[in-house]
Amino acid sequence: MLDRDNLGELFGKVGVGNQTMLGIMGNNRDVSVGEIFMIYSQRDGHERVFFFRVLGLENYLRQVDDMARVAGTLMVEGDSYLSGIERNMLLSVNGRMLGYAEQRGDEWRFMSPRRLPDHLADVYRPIRGKSDEEVCRMLCTQTDGNVYVGDLQVGETTLDVPVMIPSKFLPMHVGIFGSTGAGKSNLMMVLIKSIIDSNLDYLHSPDDEDKRISAFCIDPHDEFAKGVDKYGIQSVIEAMDDGTRKKVINDFYYLTTHKKATPREIKRYTKEIRILWEEIRPRDLYSIMEFTPQMSSFIDSQFNLHRERWVKEILDMEKDPDGTPSGTLNAVQRRLRFLERSPIFIESGLSVLGEIFEAMESGRILVVNTSLMSDMEQFLLTTIVTRTLSDMRRALKSSGNLGDFERQGNMRLPQPFFTKVKTQAKAFYRKGGVGDDSEVRDPRALPVILVTVEEAPSILNPELMRGRSVFKDISRQGRKFNMGLLVVSQQVSVLDNVILSQMNTEINLRLGNEREIRACIENASVNISGFENEFRVMSRGEAILTASYREMPLPVKIPLFDTVFERDRDRYKGKGAKKSEKRVL
Amino acid sequence: MLEKILTDKFRELLRLVFADISNQQDRRDEEEFSKDEIRIKEQLLDTVEPYPPDTLLEDDFLVAAVDGSGTDNLMLLDDIRVHLLSTATVVLDTNTRSEKLFDPISAVALEECLGGQPHLDVHWHSGVRNDAQKKMAETLETIYPLKDIIDIILPFFRDDSNGAISSISDFTDTDYEKHLPELREMESLISRAQMLTNQVVHDELRKVSEYAAARNVLTSDLRPKYLLLDGALSIFMHFVKKYPSMPSGFILRELASLARKEGVVLCAVSKNHTIPFAHRIAKMAQDVFGEGTKWFCHLPCKDDPGGGLHIIEDRTYIPPRLAVPYLFSFSQDNRPSRIDFDRIWWLENVLVRGDPIATRQNEKALFRDLEFMSRDARWYGYPVSLALAHEACKLSYEDLRLAREICKDVRHEIGLDTRKTEPLRADYNL
Repeated sequence: MLDRDNLGELFGKVGVGNQTMLGIMGNNRDVSVGEIFMIYSQRDGHERVFFFRVLGLENYLRQVDDMARVAGTLMVEGDSYLSGIERNMLLSVNGRMLGYAEQRGDEWRFMSPRRLPDHLADVYRPIRGKSDEEVCRMLCTQTDGNVYVGDLQVGETTLDVPVMIPSKFLPMHVGIFGSTGAGKSNLMMVLIKSIIDSNLDYLHSPDDEDKRISAFCIDPHDEFAKGVDKYGIQSVIEAMDDGTRKKVINDFYYLTTHKKATPREIKRYTKEIRILWEEIRPRDLYSIMEFTPQMSSFIDSQFNLHRERWVKEILDMEKDPDGTPSGTLNAVQRRLRFLERSPIFIESGLSVLGEIFEAMESGRILVVNTSLMSDMEQFLLTTIVTRTLSDMRRALKSSGNLGDFERQGNMRLPQPFFTKVKTQAKAFYRKGGVGDDSEVRDPRALPVILVTVEEAPSILNPELMRGRSVFKDISRQGRKFNMGLLVVSQQVSVLDNVILSQMNTEINLRLGNEREIRACIENASVNISGFENEFRVMSRGEAILTASYREMPLPVKIPLFDTVFERDRDRYKGKGAKKSEKRVL
Repeated sequence: MLEKILTDKFRELLRLVFADISNQQDRRDEEEFSKDEIRIKEQLLDTVEPYPPDTLLEDDFLVAAVDGSGTDNLMLLDDIRVHLLSTATVVLDTNTRSEKLFDPISAVALEECLGGQPHLDVHWHSGVRNDAQKKMAETLETIYPLKDIIDIILPFFRDDSNGAISSISDFTDTDYEKHLPELREMESLISRAQMLTNQVVHDELRKVSEYAAARNVLTSDLRPKYLLLDGALSIFMHFVKKYPSMPSGFILRELASLARKEGVVLCAVSKNHTIPFAHRIAKMAQDVFGEGTKWFCHLPCKDDPGGGLHIIEDRTYIPPRLAVPYLFSFSQDNRPSRIDFDRIWWLENVLVRGDPIATRQNEKALFRDLEFMSRDARWYGYPVSLALAHEACKLSYEDLRLAREICKDVRHEIGLDTRKTEPLRADYNL
């Protein structure tokens, strides 16, 4: 039997309602919209705890039918009082049933709302420091995982119940939606730190492959490394001893356009972003800008003719080749000219793409400062990295042994790039031996790769996704290659349905307007209809996490990065150091 | 029906009735009232001087109130009626020192003194001749805590005879002597047996239930300063026998007598009074004292100094026997209400013979307290203890529906036939 005292403070009784919406009559307490209550029920001998989220509140005075009249009397008759009113002052609370927890043996299972609590069942209000452990146990199937997002929010406070995302669901894509100032950057920093923590855990227990996560994190405002306030990812890196740091980031984690402009302490872990023209494929460009059929046909023919040299050849052409409609060359050149001006897309020199590939196959994070890039450069970089990594994994998935893999790689990837990385790739992908007939690993045994798509509507919009976008394939097939997109956007309504329908985890922060709120509710992986008012009152850092693999929409408070860093900084100091408190789920 | 109500013909019918009332009753009342007008204005009406809102009473006191409710039709089993009776007692503390004015005393303390609140009782009788009277007498004996009938009847005769009859032996050589055998049994105290309709039986039971609850307050350790009842302190008399025609009349006097003994002010407040020309008195008060002034008005009887009012001369139950009625208004938004006090208490504690100023001071002190206890914003102008008692005892439609369902369940549990519990007319959707 459950110890009901551990559920929290007895708040009220279930009044009216059905398995979806409930009305509760409770004590006159300072309750806020968004709080979660627990309803203890024992119908037919089944002990269950229902979870209920407050969506609306109303003052209720017993024995008063006309509150306005009473308030008026109190105003007009200055000597009036309300006799014994305290016990008659109640709070009528209505809200949504989130589901219920039921113990089966030693384990708690959580179910979607398909039953109703008993008549006049007791309602408990969780209290931090008292209810955390019990709530944690009951919601373990809803909150466990490898990547910490925040703590379970109950109204304006939180319980010590960490909300995590299992890494195995990351390849089914994660969406982060929120307006400016909703806390997206802080959330990204918390997620990067969580990924580092998960990789550190893997170092301590290498059998647990699920813990290895790689992330290619676009930082459009260059704030992740340095941090917004006191600490940033650089603080995490610096808190590590040399041995740990080497294992976690090898020799770099920060990518930028201009290394010279990077602060000295970060510079040590920095590489400049340089991508060779020969590493660009026509599809990369089709994924980020619109081309007419004539233009793409022209580009394809030039690519078939010149292979990796296609960009240079087109840019050097002086007149439309025979058979090409007049003006096509000009139009294509206009679209490609930004490559000539770009400091990161270079005709010759040293590319960083191979090192990016190596980092992503090793379970590492990369913070990519795109603040000095144009939109087009940023989108193209994201696309090339995504396509390269997915093509490598695709080549692996299509292979039975290392020999097959080499053939597939040569076929699918730019020749110079593949030649450069194939030895390293074989080292990552082989199961045991080194010969061509050696078996290869399943991509699901490799680190999960998460690629951030910032300002997602610019490349994940229906127009571009209709064509030959790299992201269309990743949306649909990413799970096969253990590779997912982390889609960051201020808007949900403008994203393409392919990516929205494939997305299994959404972290919904405060949204800008009613249209986005509606779109967010419609897109959520679990039913959160009725949460409209919640979105309207959400504060910075508050989110509703929905996931198709969970029954309950989870209200989450994302802590400030500085807070979690200060809490955990000791864990980065290597073997002898104290490990941060282990959360037992 | 609506098409008839909306016709000119119906309006004409009403026009005739109201014209008739105006021609006959109002004209007569107007004439009578004009004889009383000066006296009311100058002698009987006065203002209440309220306590300031932040007053600190030297001695905070308790105010108790009792109210009852019920139905004569909890269940109908052919010709057997099951009645349901509820009473609720509320005790409030003026509590001026802790600023929680008129704070209810704790439910635990209240229930320790008075038992569970609200209190429920049931009663039944059949259509067999005299069964209503017999069963009612049995129930009344059970309900009322005082069991000795002589002790129940004597206070009435003592008060009514001004102390001349204070024991059974004093009945000798009085008009009452021949009725003495009837005065020894509860059943024979019911001298309106021919008129025992269900409603009459129910009203009697309900009244006595409330009196029983009030008596429990008086015999408890609670010691309130005021004990308020809902209604009037009227007694319905047998015109031939010259004593109450129903046991409740005797019981009320026993209660009043005990209240005096315990030093508790017993009073009954009636919203639905039948004081003629009350609206004119209210208008007069407004004209004399100004709008918003809280006021009271004594309605004297023929034995009081200055005699009775002309306006109530031929009214059967006004002023009530052995009671003193006042009209009062503590809220300009509401019509005036009536409050009755035990006449014997009033003679001893309010009236100062030959000194109208001292009498008025006593009245003002009394109404000052009553006004203070009538400032709850939910029922401004009405004593809050009575309002709370009413809220606690009332049986809503839903309460009754559930009670009827439970009747059905209980009958099933004890192996009796289950019958529909809805009123019979429900069978025909009526």
